[in-house]
Amino acid sequence: MTDVATGTIRLEKLTKSYDGHGKPAVDSLTMDIPAGEIVVLVGPSGCGKTTTMKLINRLIEPTSGRIYLDGKDVTRENPDLLRRRIGYSIQQTGLFPHRTVADNIATVPRMLGWSKDRTAARVDELLNLVGLDPDTYRRRFPKQLSGGQQQRVGVARALGGDPEVMLMDEPFGAIDPLNREALQNEFLRIQAELKKTIVFVTHDIDEAVKMGDRIAIFSQNGRVEQYDTPEKILSEPANEFVSSFIGAGAAVRRLSLSRLADVEVPDNWPTVGADDSADRRRVAAAGTDRDFLLVLDADRRPVGWLPAAEAAEDGRTVPLLGALGPGDTLYEALDRMLTYSSTGHVVTDAEGRYRGVLELDSLRTLIHANNSAAGQSQEVS
Amino acid sequence: MGFYDFLSGNWPEVRDATVDHAILVLEGLGIAVAIGLPLAVLIYRTVLPRAVVLGIAGIFLTIPSYALFGLLITPLGLGNGPSIVALTMYAFLPIIRNAVVGLREVDPAVVESARGMGMSRAKILLSVELPLAWPVIVTGLRVAAQLLLGIAAIAAAVNGPGLGNLILQGLDKAGTPFAIYLTIEGAAAIIALAVLFDAAFALLNRLTTSRGLSA
Amino acid sequence: MAVIAEPRTDAAVPRVRPRSPLLAYGRHALMPLLVGAALLALYLYVSGHELDRIERRSLNTEYLTSRIFDHLGLTLLTTALILLVAIPAGILLTRPWARRWASPILVIANIGQALPSLGLIVLLAVSFETLGVNQIAIIAFLAYGILPVLRNTIAGLQQVDRSVIESARGMGMTRGAVLRRIELPLAVPVILAGVRTALVITVGTVALATFVGAGGLGDVINNGINSSRDLVLLSGSVMVAALALLVDWAAGIVEDLLKPRGLS
Repeated sequence: MTDVATGTIRLEKLTKSYDGHGKPAVDSLTMDIPAGEIVVLVGPSGCGKTTTMKLINRLIEPTSGRIYLDGKDVTRENPDLLRRRIGYSIQQTGLFPHRTVADNIATVPRMLGWSKDRTAARVDELLNLVGLDPDTYRRRFPKQLSGGQQQRVGVARALGGDPEVMLMDEPFGAIDPLNREALQNEFLRIQAELKKTIVFVTHDIDEAVKMGDRIAIFSQNGRVEQYDTPEKILSEPANEFVSSFIGAGAAVRRLSLSRLADVEVPDNWPTVGADDSADRRRVAAAGTDRDFLLVLDADRRPVGWLPAAEAAEDGRTVPLLGALGPGDTLYEALDRMLTYSSTGHVVTDAEGRYRGVLELDSLRTLIHANNSAAGQSQEVS
Repeated sequence: MGFYDFLSGNWPEVRDATVDHAILVLEGLGIAVAIGLPLAVLIYRTVLPRAVVLGIAGIFLTIPSYALFGLLITPLGLGNGPSIVALTMYAFLPIIRNAVVGLREVDPAVVESARGMGMSRAKILLSVELPLAWPVIVTGLRVAAQLLLGIAAIAAAVNGPGLGNLILQGLDKAGTPFAIYLTIEGAAAIIALAVLFDAAFALLNRLTTSRGLSA
Repeated sequence: MAVIAEPRTDAAVPRVRPRSPLLAYGRHALMPLLVGAALLALYLYVSGHELDRIERRSLNTEYLTSRIFDHLGLTLLTTALILLVAIPAGILLTRPWARRWASPILVIANIGQALPSLGLIVLLAVSFETLGVNQIAIIAFLAYGILPVLRNTIAGLQQVDRSVIESARGMGMTRGAVLRRIELPLAVPVILAGVRTALVITVGTVALATFVGAGGLGDVINNGINSSRDLVLLSGSVMVAALALLVDWAAGIVEDLLKPRGLS
C-alpha cells in the first residue's frame, strides 16, 4: 500500500462497541473508499452510518480495527492533526455563533499556521466557490444568514484547509426541498471541479442516488448490505433489505441514471431537407406510413415537423416540441412524452444535430434494454 | 452543658421564634401576592408598564437587606412594621416576574381558540391563562419564600421578631459555649423552615396544577 | 411540473437589527441619574440639620470615606476570590469525566444557600474566635457568593450547542482550544450574569460585616440604630443601597461590553 492516490480511505474491520450495550454500534466493517469519489452512506436511523463516518476522523474512537488514509495507518495518529486534514460538515452546521463568517472559514487555515494573506485569500475564494459574495458576507455573523447560506458557509468552512477528504453528515438535511435541490446541484458542480474524496451520510435514498458515485446501504450495527454504484444498487439489489429500502419506484429512479448520450436512439425516421423540392417531399411521404416527416436544415439540425398529407404543398412545418439533448436522461424523455402527449420526440447530439427520434414504443424498448443490461430479469408486460 | 441539654432548656423560646419567623415570612409573602398578582395581570400585555414595574421590583431586590430595613425604620419605626414591608418588597420581583412570564408563555393558539369559542377576556384569563400559568406562578412563590426566610433573620437587627434574635443573642454571648448553641439553633431552625416551606409549595403545586400540565 | 416556486433571494433574509447605541446607553444612563439624585437629596437633607455630637461621629467625611473603601475593598476582594474558586470549579464540573458530580454539588450548594447570611457570619465569628474579623467576613461572603457564579458557569457551559463543539472537534481543535475559543466565549453572557448576581449579593452581605466588627457601611446603619439617630441610619441605608445599585449598574455595562458579538 505505497502508491495509493491521495484521498483514498480504507476501513479495516472497524468495530465500535459501547459498555453496557449488547451489540456493537459498528461491527467489523471493512470498506474501501476510492479517491475523488462521493461515497454515500445511507440507511435507516440507528444503522451506524453516522457512527461509521465519525470513526473516520476519530470523533468516535474505534474499539478495534484500522483506518488508513492515503494508504497510511492513521488509527494511532494524533486525532487533532488528523482532523485538520479532513473536512467536516454537519446538518446543524455547527458554525461558531460568536465569530464572523470569515473567522469561521479561517478556523482550520489558522490552525494549520497559514499566513494572514493566504488565509484571507482562501476565505474569499471559498465564499465565491459556494456562491456568496465575499464583500457582502465576510463580516456577517451566522445569525445574519438564512439556513441555506449557513449550510454554504458550513461547506466552505469544511473546505478551509483544502483537505483531500470531506465528511458530510446530512449537510442539506435541514433545508427546504427547493433550496436543497439547488444546493445539491451546486455541490455537484463544485465537486466536479475539486474532485475531493467525500463521505456523505444521508437517510434519503433519492439524495444518495443523486449525489453518490457509490452508495453503501447500511442495515444495522454498521452492517453494509450492499456497496456499489447507484445503477447496480437500483437494478440489482443484493437482498430483501436493499430492495425494500430502495422501495417502490426503483425502476423509475433508475431511469434518471441513464443519459441519452449513452443509449442507442432509433434513427430510421423519415426525414427531408428544408431545401428539398415538393417532389422530393412527396416521394419521401409516400415511402412511409408515418403521419409526419422531420425537416432538417443543411447542418442536419431539426427544424420542424412536416405533415405527410401536406408534403406536396407549401412545406409549412409544425414546430418541434421538447427536443432532447445528450445530457437528458431516460426519465426526462419519459416525462416529456407524458407531458406533451405527442408521438415522437427528436433527440439531438451535443451540437444540436439530428440523432434520432424516440417514441413511446422505442423508449420502452430502451428502458427494457437498460434494465436487462443492468442484469435484471424483469418481465415487461 | 451539651447542646441537647441547652436546647431542651430554651426549647419554648426556639419554638416561639420559629413560629414568629414563619408568620413574618407568610405575612410578607401574602401582601406581596395580594398586590403582585393583580399587578402582573394588569401589566403582562403592555411593554412599557411591564418594563417599569419589573425594573422597580428589580431595584427593590438589589438594595441590600440591612439597608432596606434601615431605610424603612425612619417612616415606620422599629419592630414588625419595617420587617413586613421590607419582606414584601423583596418578594415582589420573583412573584411578579414569574406571573408575567407564565402568562406570556401561554400558547397564543390556545387563547385564540378560546376567543374563537366566544369566551370573554375575563373568562379567558380566569379559566385558561391563569390555570396554564399556575405552575410558573407557584414556582415564583416558592423562590420568594426561600428568599424571605433567609432575609427575615435580619429583622432582628431592627427589633423585629423571628429567629434572627437567637442568632444575635448568640453573638452577644460570644466567648461562651452558649454563643455557638444559640447561633446554631437560629440557623438550623431557618434551614428546617426552608425545607418545610419547599415541601409545602411542592405539595401545593401538585394539588392545584391541572393534571394535564404535570404529565 | 407546472408549479414553479419563486426562487428565494438572499435579499429576503432578515438582517439582525443593528442596536441603536443611543438606546443601549439610554438604558444604562437612567440608574446613575436616579442614584445621583437620591444621594444629592440625602446630602441636602443632612446639611439642613444641625448635627449633634453623636451624629457627627458617624457623619463626617473621613469616617464615611473609610467605610466606603472598606466596603468596596471587601466586596472586590471577596468577588475576586469567588471568581477564582467558582469559575475553575464550574469548568471542571462540566468536563466529561467530572460531569456526574455537577448535580450533587449544586444540590449541596443550594442547601447551603438556605443558611441565612447573618447566621453564617455569626456562626463563623463565635466558632472561630482566633480568626481575625476580616478573615471571618471574607470566608462567610465567599461561601455565600460562590453559588451563583458556580451555577451560572455550569449552566453557561452546558447551554453551548453540542453541534458547535462537535464541529470544532471535527475540524481538529484540541480540547483546550475548544474550551478557550468556543465554550468559554459562548458561556460568557451567562457567567457574567452570575458574577453580577454575586457582586450584588456580596455588597449586601458585606453590609452585615458590622455585626462581627469587620467594618463597611453597615457600621453607619448600626450606629444609627444603636444611637437612635434617624439621620445616621438614613444616611447609612441610602449609601449602602446606592452602592449596591451602582455596582449592579457597572456590572451591567461590563456585561454588555464583554458579550461576544453575533450572539444577539
